[in-house]
Parts: sequence; structure tokens; C-alpha cells
Amino acid sequence: MTEARTLKIKTTLARQMAQPGGRTVADIERRANERLDRHRDDVMITVAGTITELELVAAAAAPGSEPQVYQLASSLLDTAGFFDTGPLYDAGYSLCDVADRMQTNNAWSWPSVGVHVQAMRLILTAGCKTDATSDALLAGLRSVAAKTRT
Amino acid sequence: MSATDRVNLEQSTVLLIDDNPQALDMLSSVFHGFGVKEQIKCASAVEAVRIIQNRAVDLIVIDCADPEMDSYAFARWLRRETPAPLRFIPVILLTGHASQSKVREGRDCGVSFVITKPLTPAVLLKRIVWLAGDEREFVESENYVGPDRRVRNFGPPLGIPGRRQGDLSTHVGAAVEANMDQSDIDMLLKPQRVAL
Repeated sequence: MTEARTLKIKTTLARQMAQPGGRTVADIERRANERLDRHRDDVMITVAGTITELELVAAAAAPGSEPQVYQLASSLLDTAGFFDTGPLYDAGYSLCDVADRMQTNNAWSWPSVGVHVQAMRLILTAGCKTDATSDALLAGLRSVAAKTRT
Repeated sequence: MSATDRVNLEQSTVLLIDDNPQALDMLSSVFHGFGVKEQIKCASAVEAVRIIQNRAVDLIVIDCADPEMDSYAFARWLRRETPAPLRFIPVILLTGHASQSKVREGRDCGVSFVITKPLTPAVLLKRIVWLAGDEREFVESENYVGPDRRVRNFGPPLGIPGRRQGDLSTHVGAAVEANMDQSDIDMLLKPQRVAL
């Protein structure tokens, strides 16, 4: 085994950020949140479209289309993950997790996908709010996910 | 970091890589809000490889699942295949869900930080500020190239092989002077009026 070499590095980022000037953290965060918020409506349209695609894939349950489930759920997280979509994000994450495990273990179950997609649709329709219904839906998804781990 | 602290990203060039165009636009908006004047937006890691060899970049933020070159492969290429100072550029890897096969890669590819979504500008800014003050050493070994993954450098226990010269000692030495009595301790904690 070769020895590890360690180096002390001062990055250009560190040097630049040490320069005087800039803005306050509060100001920066406010500006970033404002700019990000301009994308919210478009993102929610994309998210709804992705759930529709998932519904179609789950309904068809075509052999060979299994990887599409992870790709679609993952792309939903990519965009929804910039906003507080609460239970919708959790349901999407659970679908990614379940799809990943089922593929890795060669134990695919379309009903497990279907129940996730239905839950995501219900949560989206209810405005992504955290309430007793979304809690119950997520609890159901957790038990589906637990089965893929055994 | 308090709300009144100042952060200066006005001089920095940030390379944003995301294969989801909508996510790339949002990331770009966040960095505009941060006051970054120069951003380079890339839709793929392969494109980023070309760019980085021709332009100076101070920070890389990547979220890329392209099978040709994903975030992990890009980080490994940057850390192992490029000369200094390119290989030292801080890299923040964003991810929604990391598949089982990618968790270990995330640990071993040499990125400076992995941030899991949901992402808020506040969290991203905090990580960037942390990176600016990052005092971790850069490690180059057969199996790993990148910032030291240990935040506390205690290393293996004393007497166990694998300790590095810079590892902090976990050994607490014998007291070299008498213990303080309670009144001395009270005096240290007692608030005192100070004339300014």
C-alpha cells in the first residue's frame, strides 16, 4: 500500500470570499429565494406531468419499462427538490427507494409502484399539504417500502 | 453564520452542471441571488470537462445522472486526471435520491460536499461559506483523491496502524498542575463590569 500524501490547499474560492464587500446573508438569502420562487408554477406543472407519465407507465406495466420508474421519480425529485413540496417529495423519494431496491433484488412489483403513484397524485391534488391524509398515505408507503427491504 | 454577516461571491466563477434543464435554470437563479456575476451553465458533465480545461473556475456544483458521465465519474476525473490547481476546485454534489450502488461512490469520488435535496438557498449558502473556511487537507492516495473525509482528525486509536502525522491525539495527558478549586472556577464564570 502506498502512503497517502496530504496537502494544505487555499482555494481561489476561499481567497475571493475573504475579500471585503459582498452582501449580508439575509439579503443574499432573500434575493435567492425571490428568484427561485419565480420558477415555482412551471415546476409544479412539470411535476404534474411527471406523475401523469408515471401513471401511464404503471398502468401499462410493460416488461422492460421498470427502469423508467426510477428515472421519472428521480427527475421529479430533481425539480420538486427546490421547493417545499413536503409529503409529495417524501412519496417521490420512497418510490425511488422502492424502485431501486426492487431492481437491485430482481423482485419487481408493479402494485408497489401503483400505490406510490396514486399517493403522489392524491397529495398533489390536495396541494402538497401535510395533514392527517398525507400522514396516512406516507405511513402506507413506508409499509410498502419495508416489504421491499425484507 | 448570522444574518448580518457578509458573504462575497461577486468575484467568483461558478460552473453549474445539471442534466435537467429546469433544475439548471433554478440553480442559476439561486446563484444570481447569491451575487455571483459569472456563471457557466452546462447540460452535461462531458461538456463541463471541455469547459474546465479552458476556463478558470472557482466552484463546481453538479447534479448529473448521465450514464456517459455522471456526477461521481466527473468528480473522480477532476480529482485524478487533472493537474493542480484544477484538481483542488471545490465540488458540491447535489442529489435527489442516491441509489444503493451510488452511496459508496458518493463517499469515495472526492467531492467536497454532498447535499441531498430538498434544497434551500440557505443550506447551499451555508455549505459554500463552510467550504471557504475549509481547513481539511487534500488527500492523495491510491484509493482516494479529494478533501479529507474526516471532519475531526482523531484518526485510529494510538498504537493502531494507519495513524497519520496530522491526526489529533486522543490521549489525555496527566495533569501538570494542581486542580483549580471551586472559587477559582466561580471567578472565571462570574460576569464582571468592564470599563470600555
